[in-house]
Amino acid sequence: MADTEERSHDKPDPGAIPEAGILGRWIDKTGLVFAFGIVLSMLILLNEVVLRYVFNAPTIWAHETTIFLCGAAFLYGGLYCSARDRHIRVVLIYDALPDGARRILDIVISVICMLSSGVFAWAAWLMVQRAAFRPDGSFRLERSGSAWDPVYPGLIKVFLLIVLAVMAVQFLILAVNYARGRK
Amino acid sequence: MIDFFGSLQGLGIETGTLLMFAMLLVLLVSGIPLAFVTLLVALIFALGWFGPMVVPLITSRVFSFVSSFVFVSVPMFVLMAAILDRSGIARDLFDAMKLVGGRLRGGVAIQTIIVAVILAAMSGIIGGEVVLLGLVALPQMLRLGYDKHLAIGVVCAGAALGPIDPPYIVKNISGLTAKVAVGDLFTASFVPGLMLAGFYVTYVLIRAYLNPALAPIPQGDPVSKAEKVRLLKGLFLPLLVVAGVLGSIYGGIASVTEASAVGVAGVLLSTVIRGEFTLQLLKGAALQTLQTVGMIVWIGIGASALVGVFNLMGGIKFVSALISGISDNPTLILLFMMLILFVLGMFLDWVGIALLTMPIFVPIITELGYDPVWFGVLFCMNMQVSFLSPPFGPAAFYLKSVAPPDISLATIFRSLLPFIAMQVLAVGLLLFFPGITGR
Repeated sequence: MADTEERSHDKPDPGAIPEAGILGRWIDKTGLVFAFGIVLSMLILLNEVVLRYVFNAPTIWAHETTIFLCGAAFLYGGLYCSARDRHIRVVLIYDALPDGARRILDIVISVICMLSSGVFAWAAWLMVQRAAFRPDGSFRLERSGSAWDPVYPGLIKVFLLIVLAVMAVQFLILAVNYARGRK
Repeated sequence: MIDFFGSLQGLGIETGTLLMFAMLLVLLVSGIPLAFVTLLVALIFALGWFGPMVVPLITSRVFSFVSSFVFVSVPMFVLMAAILDRSGIARDLFDAMKLVGGRLRGGVAIQTIIVAVILAAMSGIIGGEVVLLGLVALPQMLRLGYDKHLAIGVVCAGAALGPIDPPYIVKNISGLTAKVAVGDLFTASFVPGLMLAGFYVTYVLIRAYLNPALAPIPQGDPVSKAEKVRLLKGLFLPLLVVAGVLGSIYGGIASVTEASAVGVAGVLLSTVIRGEFTLQLLKGAALQTLQTVGMIVWIGIGASALVGVFNLMGGIKFVSALISGISDNPTLILLFMMLILFVLGMFLDWVGIALLTMPIFVPIITELGYDPVWFGVLFCMNMQVSFLSPPFGPAAFYLKSVAPPDISLATIFRSLLPFIAMQVLAVGLLLFFPGITGR
C-alpha cells in the first residue's frame, strides 16, 4: 500500500498473550476467519436491503445466514478474548498486589475460569445430544423450521460446545504456564 | 457430588439471594472476568438449587441470546466505529468545527462537545471517543491555555454522551426487554441527549465568560480557503452516512440492523473516496470488532444464564417484591432503583448492569404504570454517571492512557465533578418531567 503517512493507529497488534501458548496463537490467527464472517454478514445485509427496497425481491436466506455468521463470531469472540486476556474484569485489588501474589492469583483465576467453561461445556453437551442426534442415536442436526429450513441452530449449538471445550483447555494451558512462571 | 444437587434449596430464597450476591461480589473483586463469574455462579445455583435437569434450560437461553437478529446490529455498529477510528474522518471533523467554533469564548470546548455528539451518533463507543478526543482536542485546548479541569471534563463528559445518543443503547436493553421497540428508544433518547449536551455547552459558556482566563480566544491565522474546501469535501459523505442511518431508523424505514449494515458500507465507501482504504485497515477493524463483540456478548451470555437461573429460583419475584415493598410511593421506588444502578455503576460495566438488572426492574416499572421506554432512557442517563464516577469511571482511565503524564488520575476525577453534577441533574429532570422523552 502506497500511503504510509499518519498511520498512528496501526500499532503492532499485541496478539495472544505469551502464556496462552501455541493454542493461544492458533486461536488468535483463526480469529480472522470469524472477523471476515462479520464483514461478510454486512455485505449480505446490504445485498438484502438492495434486493428488498430496490428490486422488491427479498431472499429467504439472508437473515438466517447473518444471524448464523454473527452468532458464530460472538461465540468465537469469547475464545479470542480468553487467549488475548481481554475479558472485562475488575482489577482494583489485582493491580495493587505485588508480583508474586499476582502470579498466584493468575493461576487461581485461570483454574476457576477453566472450571466455569468446563462445566458449561458439559452443559452444552447435554444440549447438543438433543440438537444433533435423533432419540435413536443417529445423527441429525436441528433445523430452524423456517421456509428455508437450514441446519444453523444445530451448527451453532455444536459450535458452542466446541468453543467451550477449547476455552477450558486454553485456561488449563494458561494456568500451567502461569504456574511455571513462563513469560 | 450427588448430595449437592438441590441441597441449596433448603436455604430459602432470602438466604439464597444473599449467598448469590456475596459469591458474585467476592469472585468479581478477585479479578476473575465478569463473564466467567456469572457463568460459574449460574451453574453452581442451577445444580445446587435444582440439579442437572435444569442445565439444558440455561444453555438454550444462551443459544437464543446469541442467535437473535437485533444483536446482529452490535457487530455492525462496532465495525463502523472501528473503521472511523482508523480513518482520518474524526480528526477532520474536529478541524472542520474550527470554522464554526471560531472566535467564540470557550469555542474549542464547545466544538469538542459538538464533535462528541456527532461521534456518539456514529459509533457511541466510549473508549474510542475518549482516546480520540483526548488525543485531538485535549492537547489543543491545553495549548491554547484552557483551564486544565475544564478541558478534561469536557473531553470525558462529551465522550460519555455515547450511550444516550442513539445507537449504543439499543443493543442491550432492547435485546432483553423485547417488548420495547428499538426505534422508540432511539427517538425517546434524542432530546434528553441533546439536553445534556446543552447543559455542558451552557456550563462552558458561563464559566468562560465569568472568568475569561479559563478559556482564552485563539490567536492566529484564519484557516485557508483550500483547507476549508478539503475538510468539507472529506466530511460530506461521512455526515451523509450518519444522517442516512439515523434518519432511516427514526423514520422507521429500515430495521436497526439493516440500517447499521448500510452505515458500515457508507463509512467504508467514505474511506475509499478519501483514499484511506486499505485491506489492512479493514482487517484491523474487523479483528477489533471480533474482540469487542466477544467481550460484550460473553458478558451477556453469563448474565443471561444467571438471570435465567435466578428467575427459576423465584429470585426475581422475590427481589421485585422487596423493591416494591420499600414504599407505597412510586417515586421513592424509582429513586431506590436509581440508587442501585448508581452503586452498581461504580463497580460494573454498564453492559453487565443492563443485562442483570433490566429483567428485574422493567416488570416493576410496568406494574407501577410507568413507560418502559422512558425508563430505558432514564437508565442510559444514569449509566453516563457510571462512566465518570470514581473509583472505576472508565472514561477517566481511558483518558489517563492518552493524556500528558503530568495529569494525574486524581486531577481527572476532580475535573469530572461538575459534569457528574450536571448528569445527576439531567437524571433528576428526566425523572420528574418524563415529557422530555416526548412520550
